[in-house]
Amino acid sequence: MSASGWLTETAVLARAVAYKSLVLRVRYAFNTVTSLFTIYVFFALLFFGGREIAPQAIDDSLTGIIVGFFLILTATVAYADLSWELIREAQWGTLEQLYMSPLGFGRVVTIKTAVNLLVAFGFGGVLLGAMLVTTGETLVLDPLVVLPVGFLTICTAVGVGYVLGGLALVFKRIENVFQIVQFSFVGLVAAPVDQFPLLKLLPLALGSDLLRDGMGRGTPLWDLPTADLALLIVTAVGYLVVGYALFGLLSRKARADGKLGKY
Amino acid sequence: MSVRAVVPTANVSPVPTLGTAVNTNGTVPPAADGNAGGMPAVSVENLHKRYGSGGSAVVALDGVSFDVERGSVVGLLGPNGAGKTSALKSALGLLLPDEGSVSVMGVDVGGDPERAYRHVGAMLEGARNVYWRLTPRENIRFFASLQGLDPRTEARRAYHDHLLETLDLADRADDSLNDFSQGMKQKVALACTLARETPVVFLDEPTLGLDVEATRNLRDRVRALADEEGRTVVLSSHDMDVVQAVCDRVVIMNEGRIVADDDVDSLVGLFRTREYAVTVDGTAAEVRGALDGAFDPVGLRETAERTTFEVTVPDGRFYDLTDALRGAGLEVLSLSTVEPDLEEAFLRLTDRGESDGRRGRAGTWSAPTPEADR
Repeated sequence: MSASGWLTETAVLARAVAYKSLVLRVRYAFNTVTSLFTIYVFFALLFFGGREIAPQAIDDSLTGIIVGFFLILTATVAYADLSWELIREAQWGTLEQLYMSPLGFGRVVTIKTAVNLLVAFGFGGVLLGAMLVTTGETLVLDPLVVLPVGFLTICTAVGVGYVLGGLALVFKRIENVFQIVQFSFVGLVAAPVDQFPLLKLLPLALGSDLLRDGMGRGTPLWDLPTADLALLIVTAVGYLVVGYALFGLLSRKARADGKLGKY
Repeated sequence: MSVRAVVPTANVSPVPTLGTAVNTNGTVPPAADGNAGGMPAVSVENLHKRYGSGGSAVVALDGVSFDVERGSVVGLLGPNGAGKTSALKSALGLLLPDEGSVSVMGVDVGGDPERAYRHVGAMLEGARNVYWRLTPRENIRFFASLQGLDPRTEARRAYHDHLLETLDLADRADDSLNDFSQGMKQKVALACTLARETPVVFLDEPTLGLDVEATRNLRDRVRALADEEGRTVVLSSHDMDVVQAVCDRVVIMNEGRIVADDDVDSLVGLFRTREYAVTVDGTAAEVRGALDGAFDPVGLRETAERTTFEVTVPDGRFYDLTDALRGAGLEVLSLSTVEPDLEEAFLRLTDRGESDGRRGRAGTWSAPTPEADR
């Protein structure tokens, strides 16, 4: 197939996946709104409750808390949506239909992930706005920092999402793994990477630290440590490639075990 | 050559046209191209699949082979656990066989599944193949896009309208499937499969859960896929009436093996021509004595100096039967052929599977060996 044919087909599929994602989110609006609202309520409780108990501590770390919540929501939507969608598609009986696309299951899943990333940034943006209005705080939202650093940071979570997606195809019930990963991500967003540099290799940790610098202190992209930016690129690509490879192996195992369409 | 018209053409004419169609979805025409290529639409070769290991291993497929001619409708029959779904899913690349290969329109499904999927679409698990929160039109557009086909072109929109019309979905094309009946959802699933515009279509239990009228409608529609659009259809079903009415050929599976592979008429005729219901003016003991060693009468029933029984007669030995009865002084009062339908043939073939066995190929029938380890 020619490159233009490949691109045309990809665009056709991307449009369809985005449209379906949007329509299903609107038609499952209650679920969509409550998931966003729950995180906001959790933040509001932490913010107002914390101010009553330890106002100085909250004020000192408010920027970190806001950036952390933004990252947690964005990363969660990005990594968990893929796994949940694969589980739901298996339940709906549509997963095997997706697999039978001549564009390739890998391309279908990658496009789904890209759409999820856009949705994740959309949700993150809405939550970020709500948090800033609630707290009266201001952040430096330099797109040259937020977009590339945020994207690379979320890519590390997406790599984990690929692995979870593959596990979901094989084992179906992986809710407990989700909870462990979710708790781990909360810890990693606040990880003290300056004290323990090895933590930079874990998902979200390094990117979260760089975003706090960029959004909290207004550090421009070119003033962020070059070595850290390079490491962020390496970890983002590494997690994506390894996660995708494991997803491929696990989906092959699901096919070998006859579990692809089962739930 | 049958009319196979409404599948959009490669030239993307403004409206669907009649005549020879070349699919935008690859190089193979979606509809009947006769046997021009010579090769079968589907070729399944020596599939083996075993789940688990050791003593608890289950053999799902044990050397399954069959071909499907282009433009034909082939039924896959078998009792629960016979291996039908495993065979279908292996043929579609959704299940990895331990051994064997499948090609669709000459493309090896295991080696190049993406290319193979340009030629084959499948409706699996009936109504569970579509998005219930979307409308029929949205579903059709999505599955066309999944095939890489742009649903916004005028020709394709017209084709999708045609699908909705022919499947009686047009009136509810923009309603959510949530409120649809099972039959309506299955029609949407079929429409979505056809929206992929593939020349080969696999249908797994397409009439499961449908009422009589919906079954008849869907049956007609499936037959039309071959007759009017020239598509090749592989259909698995428990519904013998559907298979008998729709299929050109039937592959019967039992315990992971093919026990019969022949056209419907031959399978039914296999028994129709050989089995007779006979009534004579004598006792059961006299009948047994007359036929002893030569024939095997079954179901003997004595009523007022008469005995009725059924007997299977090998080819060319019909007169040996009547001569044997007359020779014993038994007058034949009535004699009629037993007319089995496909269900009768199916039951007998799978029953025979308990005690005899060979793997079948086209035009043959046989039964599995007792050591089939399931």
